[in-house]
Amino acid sequence: MNKEEIFDKIADLIADRFEVNKDKIGPELNFKTDLDADSIDFVEFVLEMEDTFSSEIPDEEAEKLTTVQQAVDYVYNNL
Amino acid sequence: MKRIAVDVMGGDQGPKAVIDGVLMAREELSDFTFVLYGNEDQMKAHLPENMKQIEIVHTTEEILGEDEPVKSIRQKKDASMVLAAKSVKNGENDALLSLGNTGALLASGIFIVGRIKGIERPALMPVLPVENSDKGLTLLDAGANASCKSKHMVQWAEMGSFYSQSIRHVENPRVALLNNGSEFDKGDELHQEVYQLLSDRPNINFIGNIEGNEVLQGKADVLVADGFSGNVMLKTLEGTASTIMGVLKENLLNNGLKVKVGAGLAKPAFKEISKQFDMAIYGGAVLMGAKAPVIKVHGRGDGRSIYYAFHQVDEMLKQDLVQQVKQAFDKK
Repeated sequence: MNKEEIFDKIADLIADRFEVNKDKIGPELNFKTDLDADSIDFVEFVLEMEDTFSSEIPDEEAEKLTTVQQAVDYVYNNL
Repeated sequence: MKRIAVDVMGGDQGPKAVIDGVLMAREELSDFTFVLYGNEDQMKAHLPENMKQIEIVHTTEEILGEDEPVKSIRQKKDASMVLAAKSVKNGENDALLSLGNTGALLASGIFIVGRIKGIERPALMPVLPVENSDKGLTLLDAGANASCKSKHMVQWAEMGSFYSQSIRHVENPRVALLNNGSEFDKGDELHQEVYQLLSDRPNINFIGNIEGNEVLQGKADVLVADGFSGNVMLKTLEGTASTIMGVLKENLLNNGLKVKVGAGLAKPAFKEISKQFDMAIYGGAVLMGAKAPVIKVHGRGDGRSIYYAFHQVDEMLKQDLVQQVKQAFDKK
């Protein structure tokens, strides 16, 4: 899967979970400041990423993901 | 057949309490299958010869009381609680019951079983005994959320009303807000905002604020609290009740024969009080807002508390409470 495809899938997850327009989701979108995601939202999002990409994201790695681009890069490099 | 996934590993008495509860309940709940998740070796000594309506799923791991909730459910993938929660998520079982680590059960309910779409934050909801009513007081949130927003608390008021109406059979439940004064402008910004929002809701019978000292007086049927205050209040009540009972007992037994005889004469009154304030008959605390019934029974719970919790699950499944909540929140 290339980065664009990964971005597309992650954007779908975000649009559905946080009820935002997919067109407005860019690589620099920040989960905490732009989406007002608290810890529960974030854990749910990480679990959905794991389901979508059929792999596990360790907690210490998940904690480092603050923007969409970081999530895309992580999936591209590790999963 | 209703299938209930039971995590037998978490309680203070281990599998014994759960199995006692199953044996008390199974004849009355003849359409139930009790699926017990836990270490089979530890269960063996307590299992009956006749295994009618009982299934065992042997598990090798256990979530302990001191485990960090979210980490433990992610790392202990073969724990009894995690596997029981997954079975509910996959539709193999209809409900989840545990006496184990409350935080881990909340995390299992929210992250494994999942939230109902539209419910932003599920709440932990026990029913407390009150004066002059056998319907109890439905409290939410008792501590699932350390911080919350006004819109969450309004959803809790709605879900609490559903429960009070469908399961406790209260018509038009009176909903109150736990606050530090009765007037509308009491409390911090959050509580003032919730007061206003609840007052504006035509579907909620909001009767205003109540203070901590009024909680057990039977003035309301549903009490909405932010998770922090709800938890502090609940623990304070539990602690106060247990301290008073302890001090009373000690003084009645250690102040001479006359007092002892007096205590003996007053026994029927004490029995009546303990009947009226019997927590067990209300079942366990429900994680309201999860996609299936998720019930937490107190770690100290015995067979009797678990028996009542099974009846509570039965009622929730019969009334299809989760579906009612889903439909109500889907329309919004």
